[in-house]
Order: sequence, then structure tokens, then C-alpha cells
Amino acid sequence: MKKKTIVAAVSALALAAMLAACSSGGGSTTSSGTSPKLTNCTNKIVNKSAPEVSVWAWYPNMAKVVDNFNNGHKDVQVCWTNVGQGGDEYTKFQTGISAGKGLPDVVMLEADHLAGYEIQNALVDISKLGADKVKSNFSAGAWKDVSQGSAVYAAPVDGGPMALIYRTDVFQKYGITTPPATWDEYAADAAKVKAAGGPMFGDLGANVPANLMALQIQKGAVPYKYDLKDPKKLTVNLADQASKDVLDYWAGLVKKGLVGTQDQFTTDYISGVVGGKYATYTSAAWAPGYLTGAGVGKGDSKGVWAVAPLPQWDAANPVSVNWGGSAFAVTTQATDKKLAAEVALGLYADPDSLADGWKNQVIFPLNQGVLKSADFINNKSEFFNGQTANKDVYIPAENAYKGFVYAPITVYYYAQLQAETVKINAGKISGSDAATELQANIVKYAKSQGFTVTE
Amino acid sequence: MANETAVAARPPLRGTGATGSPSRTRRGSSQRRRSATGWLFIGPFAIVFIIFLVAPLAYAFYLSLFSKGLATGTTFTGIDNYVKAFTDPSFLGGIWFVLRFALVLIPVQMAVSLSAALVLDAITTRFARFARLMIFLPYAIPAVIGALMWGFLYSPTFGPLQQLFGLFGANAPFPLSPDNVFGGLMNVVTWQWAGYYMIIIYAALQGIDPALYEAAKIDGANSWQVAMRIKVPLVSSALVLILVFALIGTLQFFTEPAILRLVSNGSITPDFTPNLYAYNQAFSYANFNYASAISFALGIIVFIAVYIFLFFTRKRGSILS
Amino acid sequence: MTTARISSANRTARTAREGRRARSGSHLVPHLFLGALVVYFLIPIWWLFVASTKDVGGLFNGSAGALWFDKNFALWPNLAELFTYNDGIYLRWLGNSLFYALAGGIGATVLAVLAGYGFAKFQFRGRNFSFALLLGSVMVPLTALVIPTFVLLSELKLTDTIWAVILPSLLNPFGVYLMQVYAADAVPDELLDAARVDGAGEFRTFFQVAFPLLRPAFITVLLLSIVGSWNNYFLPLAMLSNTQLFPITVGIGLWEGLAAGNNSGGHSLWGLIIVGSLVSVIPLVIAFLSLQKYWRGGLAIGSLK
Repeated sequence: MKKKTIVAAVSALALAAMLAACSSGGGSTTSSGTSPKLTNCTNKIVNKSAPEVSVWAWYPNMAKVVDNFNNGHKDVQVCWTNVGQGGDEYTKFQTGISAGKGLPDVVMLEADHLAGYEIQNALVDISKLGADKVKSNFSAGAWKDVSQGSAVYAAPVDGGPMALIYRTDVFQKYGITTPPATWDEYAADAAKVKAAGGPMFGDLGANVPANLMALQIQKGAVPYKYDLKDPKKLTVNLADQASKDVLDYWAGLVKKGLVGTQDQFTTDYISGVVGGKYATYTSAAWAPGYLTGAGVGKGDSKGVWAVAPLPQWDAANPVSVNWGGSAFAVTTQATDKKLAAEVALGLYADPDSLADGWKNQVIFPLNQGVLKSADFINNKSEFFNGQTANKDVYIPAENAYKGFVYAPITVYYYAQLQAETVKINAGKISGSDAATELQANIVKYAKSQGFTVTE
Repeated sequence: MANETAVAARPPLRGTGATGSPSRTRRGSSQRRRSATGWLFIGPFAIVFIIFLVAPLAYAFYLSLFSKGLATGTTFTGIDNYVKAFTDPSFLGGIWFVLRFALVLIPVQMAVSLSAALVLDAITTRFARFARLMIFLPYAIPAVIGALMWGFLYSPTFGPLQQLFGLFGANAPFPLSPDNVFGGLMNVVTWQWAGYYMIIIYAALQGIDPALYEAAKIDGANSWQVAMRIKVPLVSSALVLILVFALIGTLQFFTEPAILRLVSNGSITPDFTPNLYAYNQAFSYANFNYASAISFALGIIVFIAVYIFLFFTRKRGSILS
Repeated sequence: MTTARISSANRTARTAREGRRARSGSHLVPHLFLGALVVYFLIPIWWLFVASTKDVGGLFNGSAGALWFDKNFALWPNLAELFTYNDGIYLRWLGNSLFYALAGGIGATVLAVLAGYGFAKFQFRGRNFSFALLLGSVMVPLTALVIPTFVLLSELKLTDTIWAVILPSLLNPFGVYLMQVYAADAVPDELLDAARVDGAGEFRTFFQVAFPLLRPAFITVLLLSIVGSWNNYFLPLAMLSNTQLFPITVGIGLWEGLAAGNNSGGHSLWGLIIVGSLVSVIPLVIAFLSLQKYWRGGLAIGSLK
């Protein structure tokens, strides 16, 4: 009996080890003994003699991008891992910073998170490591998002110029002939659809604070002023009139039941989008790819989508804003920073990778070479039923984008903005009061972190 | 065997010769083994214990005595972090939640698992055996996957609740809305753990000598009386063990809210429970020092709560020596 | 009294009792109660199975509802996709989980048996204090340990290796407690003394005399440890960044994160997550079904004493 148990246990263990060892897992480079090679790549290393640079990234077509890079480089090879998207990766990244080890050489980050890592000395200024040479490939706004004065902390790849995605079937049914060009029109159309018994017009998801912040900036809010040259000084301005106005505007829509209060990116939200629960989606240029991947634009909801420029507060002076988008940064734990910078700047910059990215709608490229190419400009979007969305909406929006200033306390700020939005959605607080509360909360936190705060 | 409650009340460290009278006469041999030999057996575990529990804990305590702001360096601040924690509405709110949660959840969980165990002990049909296994089954499912499943089942758009209420033309309540989240989480935890507790109680019930029931029956007791007056008292030490487990687990509540947070539409906040708050302080806001202090403060509260509980159940000896 | 003796003594009486019970007719109310419990505990699992047979469209907008099959029975395509997606990474995760669970579980159990026996059968300086420390350690919040353990293992260059998962899971204080309680009663001192008189060394005494008596508790602690390692999520989540080393829980968590952010390159991962969850619970369910007598027998140890 006892022997049997032990034999069973041992053989199960052996089986498990075998299963783990000889699974077909994507050809990881097995530890090659003497050379200090990285062993945990998801991709194949083409030129085994070249030094390797480790990369964390979550672009969906990353496998292809890495292969493109490795096939085209004899001097350096990329060893790539996807440790999760957004928050999941940031958690690991922060753990690595705090532990003083465990970071990759190159990491994909969103622009709004750069300052928080810069102040922890986790990122390398790559302006003199080749970044200055490619500056002309990007719009001023895109470049500002990754820079601090003359210092450059990441190579821009993907942008998120915002626009208004809408359902043509709903608009038609309720007699909206032109998409709203201003937020006043947006509210009026929303009321009209609701009065006719139609669906909700949009959604104020509490879990997308970056979206809400962008909408505040659109009305002229300047949430933060911050310069890494003087890293202890932070200006916090979250309760000015523009910030309050935008929150009050959305709180009003919520109160009247014109927009939903569902968290976005959830299966419930997507299910609502597919089912025609929302007439519009105020989102960024990467949204079509996101929605397609989640099953929107197929079956019942095929061919009903179109996109228009983001509604404005002042139609005469349009303001373009950005949500999301990402870049490659070099970490201070990189062994060879020059080589890492070469990878950061070159990894998602070759024409093949960029074309694969935008054609599959997984990125909105910031590289001007793509933005100015006839292919890109004239592309008829399948999701938008043949609309030339890039030419009509996204390229002008990207070119007009001026860049934001982000604070080094983005994660905390987003969590608090989310909490206030939850309260707004529950009808517990007015937009103005939420802004005032947020301001007090963030100022207190910033002071506790040692910042000299200007309000 | 005759009185197991007495056995249970005895401290666990009976060590040499707990089995009966002969032990008293063998002091000599015990003395002989009062040597370092015991450490040889405990050594391997002790090494793991020191490396993976004592050392990290000591390091975490050390960290908790310092403060680090993003804009400042690390400075020694002594117990400042603890003072901050005990005046931090987020931390106190989380503690308040888990205490309330424990107070409601544990009795419910106990009622379910105890009644199930008593029924399963009393009837032995094929269906009862099947039921026993099915009730135990959720324990085999990782908490992460359990929470994920419940997240789907709770969905206001495509979950079964919506369909049920839809039949009557009503809108289903969302079990994770701010008003319902207490019950919504309680259901998930009960589902996940009640079967495990049931099996522990059941195992204890199976160890009772049936002769005791026969005696009671002869005295005219019915099944209900047998259950309440004989069975429950005899498994009381199992119940205490489970209660302590449940208490510790509930005060450290983490996995379920962490997973369900994503689908809770904002009602599960980053400071929902103390452990969640500590995790977010550490990994989202880079406040490892403060997170360590919160974890320690929580550990102290858990310790006090368990001690108070054991004091009131007069079973201190059976768990904590 | 030893548990072994309890159960063997009971067995005859119990069989007699059961025989009579069976004759005494049906128990309608208890059966209704059990039936309700079974339904409650099975609904999520039933849902998981039904959802595994749906394609993505059916999952979110199916006509048949959440608890019944859709028109399109897509279980086989779902399974095929699960095992081939990303070069079959799912199988690797399953294998990893099995490996971590068995390696961590067996290791933890061996340590627990030795330590439990040591605590139960030897007098030595620091014994009471150590045992109190051991019991107190159950109350330590996990989050307090994860960060410093990460730092510690990264000093040893062990983060992002299998050791970062296996070594910390060797720690099972509750297992030691169970073994101590069991060993104190199940191994009579007379037997040990007799072996020593015969000239056997302490370790030989342990392996030849004590261990066979400890086997029921050994198996229970083994099962508990294996389940604990299998269900582990936050430790490997913090320790590992190489997806090739992920256990199944962390792997499915990764997929969930990617699916929520639609990061799968134009195809939804939700179907894979659900069918993957279903497949991942099968090994433990089988283990439970086939080993249930050990659960019952062994768990009595911790609770009776």
C-alpha cells in the first residue's frame, strides 16, 4: 500500500516534469550553459551569438514584431516576454524597482506612467542614445508625452487620439442626421434618443479615469504642472472651473439617465455595446481594434459603426486630446543601456511591423512615416464599414494633439478619480464637489510623498 | 475515548506519553531524549521556517519603521507608519468591513457546514454519498477560478439572475453593487469553503463511538436531541478549529475581492479590505514601507481577535499553547 | 486514544448502525436539504461546463441563457483551440501546476512529518517556544511576506525560476501541527523505547517504527499541501514573469487581464479562459474522487484533538 502510494506519487511527479519540460512552448531558448543568455524568451533567438536585450511588452502582434527585429539585426537580439497588460505589468515593474532587481532592459509603458517611474530613477534618458535623431519622425505632442524638457524617457510607438464612435443604425432610427459636433449637441441628441425610447447615448465608466481626464483637459483644465528638473515641485489643479464643468456635465447626463454608468472593458460593457445599449463610444484610435477583438462589429453589430471627430466645447477652437498610447523605455537596470536604447528605438519602428500593427488595428502608429503614407491615409476601415477613418478623423486629431503633462503620482490619482466617478455615478456627489474633494485628497497625498505642492 | 471534549481541551503539546498512565513511569527515557536529537528532526522545517517566514517578516518589520516618499529619500520614522495606519480611514474602514464580514459570514458558513455534516452523518444513502462529494467539490477549485465563475454568474447582462428576473419583467439586482456587495462576496466565500469545513466536521462526527447514540436512544432521545446534545458537543473542538481558520481567513480577506474588483463596477475599492489595501499600497503606489506597517497592524489585529475568540470559547490550549 | 484505534473500533458498530438505518426507510426532509445544497454547490460548475460548450457569441449573447446549451455546440473546437493556442502554452501551464503542486506538496509533507514527529516525541530546549511560534505563524498576512520574500529570492537570483515557487511552498505550519497532534497519539513511546533498546538509531527508529504508523496523517497532509500549492496564485504571480513557468492559475489570470484589455490580436480569449478553467479543475476533481477516503480518515486528526 505504502509502496504503491509512493510509486504513484513519484511517477506522477516524473510525468509532470516531463510535461513541463518537453511541452512545445514556443521554442524558448534553453539555458545554453556557459554564456549568460536569457532563458525566458517567448520568441526564438535568430542570431545566437549576438547579445540579448530583454523586453516586456503587451502589443498583441508582438511575436511578429520581435521576429522582424531579430531577423533584421545581427548585432543584437530581443528576448521578449508578455508579463501582462497595463496594471498587471506595472505591478511587476514596480516590484522590480522596489526590489532593485528584476526589471527587463526595455519596457513598454503608457505615457501617463512615465513620470512616476522617472522620479524613482527607473528609466534612462535616451535623448543622447539615439532618440534625438528620430525626433523628427513624431508629432510635437507625441514627443512631449515622452519627454521632460530635453530629456527623453521613451520611444513613442502607439497613440490614442480621441474621437466619437457611433452606431449609424441607432442614429438613423432616432433621426440624428449628423453626429454631434459639440458637447451641447451631444447632450441634446442624447435627450432626443432617450425621449424617443432609445438606448443610452454613452457611458461614464469609472474605471477609465484617463478618458475622463482627457475630456477635462479638452475644456482647458491643466491638472498638473511638473518638471523633472525640479522633481520635488508639483502643481495640482484639479478643481478649476474647466475640471468642475466637465464633471458636472457628465454627472448631469448620468442623473438624467442619458448615459450608462458601467465600467468599461468588462464583458458586461462589451455585451451592451454589441447589443446596441449605447449609441456612442467616446474613445481613442485603438478602440476599433479593441472592439473587434471583443467580438463587436461581427454578426448583429456588423457594418453599423462609424466615427466622427470628438465633440468640442467651442467648435471654433477645437482641441484634440489623447487617451492611452504607449512607448518603449530603457530601464536603469539594463546592463548595456546603449544597446537597450537601440532596441527601444528600433523594435516597433520598421515598416513591416508598423504596417502589421495598424492593418490589424492593434496600434495607432505615431511614426510620421506611416501617418503620411498613402496606404494609411486612404485605408478603408472594415470596422467602420469602409469609412476612411484615418483620413477623416484620426490623423487630423493626432496632428492637432499638443501633449499632456502627467504627474508622477498618476496611479494614485487615477484610483482617486475613479473613486469620485463611482460616487458621481451613484448620485452621491455633484461633479463640482467631486473635483473639490479630489483636489484636497491629491494635495494631501502629494505632500505626504514629500512634494512641495502649489495649488 | 470516552470523553473527547476533555482530550480536546488538553494542550496539544502532550509530547512524550500522552496516551496514558505508563508515561509517568518513563521520565528517565524522556530525560534521555531531552537532547538535541529533536532538533535534527525539526531542523529541515526550521530552516524553511526561518528563511521563508521569520526572515521576511523581520525584514518587513524593519521596512515598516521607515518612510519613503516619491520626492524624498527613505527616512527612519519609527512607529509613525503605525500611528498613520490607525488613523487612516482607509485602513480602519477595511478593518471595520472584515470584522462585520466575519461576524455575519462565519455563523452562516458554520450553520451550512455543520447542518450538512450532521445530515450526512445521519443518513448513508447513495445520494448522501454523492451529495457529500459535491458539497466538497468547490474546495478543489482554485479561489481565482471560483471568483471568476461567480463574476460571470453575477453579470447583470448575461448571468442567470438576469434571466430569472427577466421572466417576471424585472431587472435583477447586481450582487456586487455597493448595497449588495457584502452578500455577494459572502456567497462566493461560503460556496468556496463550506464544503471543506463540512468535511472536517463530518470526519470528526465519524470518529464518535455510536454506542453513545444507542445509550441516548434508550433514554428516549430523538435524532434532533442526539445531534444537539451529543454530536455537536463532541465535535466542538473541530468547530473551534474551523472557526479559528475562518476568522483568520476572513480578517485577511483578499483573493475574492481582488478578482471580483474588476467586475464590481467600482463598489470594491482598492482599500476594500486591509490586505487589499496593503497590496495596493505596495504594488500600485510603491509604498512598501507603509504596506508593511499595514500588514503588521493587521497581523496584530488578527492575533488579538483569535485570542479573544479562544478566550471566550475556553479552548486556548487546543490551538495556541 | 489513537485515531487509528478509534476508527477501527467504530467500524463494526458503525456498519451495524448503518444497516439498521438503511432499513428504517426514507429520509425525505434531509434528502431535500441535501438536494438543495447539491444544486447550490453545483450551479457554478454546471455553468462552467455549459459555458465551455459555447462560442464567444453564444457566451455573451446566446439565446439559451447562461445555464443551458447554445444552438452551436463548440466544446471540441474550444478544446482544440485551448491546446494549440500560443503553441500549446496551456498544456505547459497545466504541467507546471502539476509539477509545483507535487514537488511543493511532497517536500512540505516530508518536512512536516519530520518536524511533527520531532515536536511530539522529543524534549529539547526551545520546544514549547518554537511550537507556539509555529502556531502563531498561521496568522501572518500573506502580503507581509510576498515583498520581502521577493527581495530575498532575488538576492539569491532565484526569482523567475521554479525554485521561487517551490521553496516558499515547502512552508506548511498547519501540516506540522497536524503531524504533531497525530504523532503524539499514534506512536506509542513504548514502541520507540523498545526499538532503541534493540540498538536502533533515532532515524532508523523513525523510518522503521514511527513512519508506518504516521502514514494516514502523511497522506492527509500531502493532499492538503498539494491542494494548497495547486491553488496558489499570489506567490507565483509575484515571483514569476516568464510565462513559460506560470502555473495554471496565474496563466488564466494573465489571459483574463489580456482579454479584458483585448490584447489577443483580434480574437477573444474569453472562450479559452472558460474552457481552460474547466480543464484545470478536472485533475483535482479526479484526485478528490479517487482519494476521498483519505480526506475523511485524515482530517479527523486535526479536528478530534
